[in-house]
Amino acid sequence: MEKILNEALFKGAKGAEVYRERGEITTVNFQSNRLKSIDTSFQEGTGLRIIKDGKIGFSSTTNLNDFTSLVKSAFVSAQFGQKALFQFPSPNKINPVNCFDSQVPLLKIEDMIEEGEKSIELILKEAPYFECEVEVEKGVSEVAILNSQGLKYSYRKSFYAFSIYAFLAKEKNFLEIEEGEANCQYHPYSDSLAEKIIQQAQLSKKLAKISPGTYPVIFTSKAMPIIFQALKRGINGKMVQKKVSPLLSKIGKPIVSSSINITDDATLPYGISSSPIDAEGIPSHSTPIVREGVLKNFIYDLQTAAILKAKSTANGSRGYDSLPSPSTTNFLVDEGKMSLEDMIADIKEGIIVDQTIGSGQGNVLMGEFSVNLDLGYKIENGKIVGRVKDIMVSGNSYDLLNRVVGIGKTSRFVGSTKTPPFYFSQISVSG
Amino acid sequence: MKSYLFSCLKKIKSEYVEIRYEDITSVYIHYVGKELESIGESTEKGGGIRAKEKGGWSFVSFNNLDKLSSYLNFAVKQARLAKTNSINLVPVPSQIKIIPTTPKKDPRQISLEEKYKLCTRYNKILLSAKEIQTSDLRYADVHTIKYFANSEGTYIQQERFWTVLGMAAIARRGNNIQSTHEGVGGVGGYELVENQEEKAEETVRRASNLLNAKPTEKGKYTVVIDPKLSGVFAHEAFGHLSEADFLYENERLLKIMRLGRVFGNQNLNIVDEPPIPGEGGFYLYDDEGVASRKTYLIREGRLVGRLHSRETAAKMGEEPTGNARAISYEYPPIVRMSNTYIEPKNMSKEEMISQVKRGIYAKGFRGGQTNLEMFTFAPEEGYLIENGKLTKLIRDFNLTGNIFTTLKNIDAVGNDLVLFTGPGGCGKGGQFPLPVSTGGPHIRIRDLVVGGK
Repeated sequence: MEKILNEALFKGAKGAEVYRERGEITTVNFQSNRLKSIDTSFQEGTGLRIIKDGKIGFSSTTNLNDFTSLVKSAFVSAQFGQKALFQFPSPNKINPVNCFDSQVPLLKIEDMIEEGEKSIELILKEAPYFECEVEVEKGVSEVAILNSQGLKYSYRKSFYAFSIYAFLAKEKNFLEIEEGEANCQYHPYSDSLAEKIIQQAQLSKKLAKISPGTYPVIFTSKAMPIIFQALKRGINGKMVQKKVSPLLSKIGKPIVSSSINITDDATLPYGISSSPIDAEGIPSHSTPIVREGVLKNFIYDLQTAAILKAKSTANGSRGYDSLPSPSTTNFLVDEGKMSLEDMIADIKEGIIVDQTIGSGQGNVLMGEFSVNLDLGYKIENGKIVGRVKDIMVSGNSYDLLNRVVGIGKTSRFVGSTKTPPFYFSQISVSG
Repeated sequence: MKSYLFSCLKKIKSEYVEIRYEDITSVYIHYVGKELESIGESTEKGGGIRAKEKGGWSFVSFNNLDKLSSYLNFAVKQARLAKTNSINLVPVPSQIKIIPTTPKKDPRQISLEEKYKLCTRYNKILLSAKEIQTSDLRYADVHTIKYFANSEGTYIQQERFWTVLGMAAIARRGNNIQSTHEGVGGVGGYELVENQEEKAEETVRRASNLLNAKPTEKGKYTVVIDPKLSGVFAHEAFGHLSEADFLYENERLLKIMRLGRVFGNQNLNIVDEPPIPGEGGFYLYDDEGVASRKTYLIREGRLVGRLHSRETAAKMGEEPTGNARAISYEYPPIVRMSNTYIEPKNMSKEEMISQVKRGIYAKGFRGGQTNLEMFTFAPEEGYLIENGKLTKLIRDFNLTGNIFTTLKNIDAVGNDLVLFTGPGGCGKGGQFPLPVSTGGPHIRIRDLVVGGK
């Protein structure tokens, strides 16, 4: 890496940064209730970013034998690149963040297979009609970053992920239930995930009907990322810079219900998006996004922050083959006080949304969504009476987040979003 | 390369092993608004090994070709851990093929500066209207040489040029933000992305117009969809259900998807056809080294075929179709579509619309998804049809339905087939984006659920 950096500086770059990722991921795949394949990927790649004549140049490769052409490509790119308004960061105090579990690389494939098999057995015992796909995955990666300001840092990261997809094809009544967990640490997930699948299979046994209209609604933790999509894009410095974010002039103003608090935090121990630094070498820290409904911060990488005369929030994100751009890390939504049971008991007629298809395809930026209910339930007089399907659920996520009746008291990670379930006063149902 | 791959293959003992290796050079340009977000060139070399041993598969991907022999050993050992029931592959003739390509205009012969100028020109057009807030323009040309060798003695070397341009215009008036996009290009050279000024102008015009559109009332409508949407419809609403890897080990689903079952009216034909030169999903040999061919999925309304890998074809006792594809060397091949379309029939678009009393004409597409029973897609724009005439411009609506009932509700098939490709593609099993083309003529569907405000 030093060689590349020196070559770039020798050729006349004013600043340079080398970013390298190396990783090994092993996945045990089950299909149709049986072990199907074991996959391992060994990956490595390097990206070079330079500042030459005030402009940004970039190039990437997987082939380090030929680093001179990497440097050459970066210089060609710099002829046309964006004006660099930032400087590469100098070495700073970097606090370690727990994102590596030494147990993960030591996990035996045989044990991963056994855990996968166990989860399928548990499910089939209660619901023998399912075809299950299971993925048990472990991964270790090393990220290294080196720049012309003297920053030189590397860290290791691990992850362990377990996902189950249970599928039943019945004429006019397909059922799919997906559950998954991922963390930097190893956890035995098979029991808890299998149990979640079984519970939902039982709730889905009966079909219920609902007529078009507006109803109170509960979004489970699993469904909440659909609602947060708009907010995540709205706070993205890039969207702010391009003036397409609806939150443009909303810092310090209430944007959602005052019961909502959200934080972006890459320092959370073992969170799936945790790391000691961001992809530009800025030390990770926690950034308040929403406090009591009021918008507190946008998220930035170095260049976007510089354009808007702000400071990077350590949200620079990238692969080795791309320039950084702002992205949320662990998106943490505070828990509330209401239990899921109390939410259900509170509803006379309404629905629970758990899985949908078609999200992210409408006017996401403005918060509009209109999704087909893939998995959801009908509530009548405080009780779940069965699964509802063949309906479309539409609304606006900003509007919903202002109609909060209750926030769940337990939260869980869904991807990199940690959220409790939410209870909203009304949503539109068609079908 | 051939002798190196074969010599490494010879050294190992296994039921079946294959190696894919790709040498990729790409040039990319990305504008958002006035700013050039990225421009440059990257190189990527990597391979994937698939090994089968006593019924278990293993897949190993890597970047360092020098260590191929040790990765091969690793793959075979790993496959032994995965032993289950036996897996058979449908026999295909082993062959040695080298397929070079000469595009009309080789993108490698064109300087980055010229590409930059072309994109800058298009981007200016995208930003030219008053209420345009920003643009999103992506250009890419990718040159790939893909090497394939397996333990059955097949060696296939395919060269490919992939040149694409995606253009989006984002218009804004207060809280109303509307975006439109156009994609051009596919398998071929620089000629595919030249002279697209009109497309850029049209993109802007549509975005500006959409600001004046009104949301529509949700409910059931008779919907006429344009070729862009009918392509997505063929792909999402039916294509995925024809991918044999969803079916081959699922008896319940197989019963539902039995060949001969009536899915639509007599005038409905749906086809998957990789070997259409220039299209996004063009290839002659798939990622298992199987020759591609045209496959009818629905013919005269009946289910007549499905898409196969060697494994699914063997298991189901059907002919291989050459539909095993991987998005890159980092992934194993799985059953995928290529160029999927609805065949044209006789009716003109005008006639189709004129027969509708109250309905929607939906155009362009922002995305689509299926869970094998239900589908959704998001058109870019639409018009209300009232008494056979297009009246109000409408926006922000989604279409959804049950695949099985909706296919039967197609009551008119147009005469104007168009295929579309561009950047982006299809996603399945964590593999996104896979280049595909989708297309069809205008079609009319009764009782489609429209969600919106």
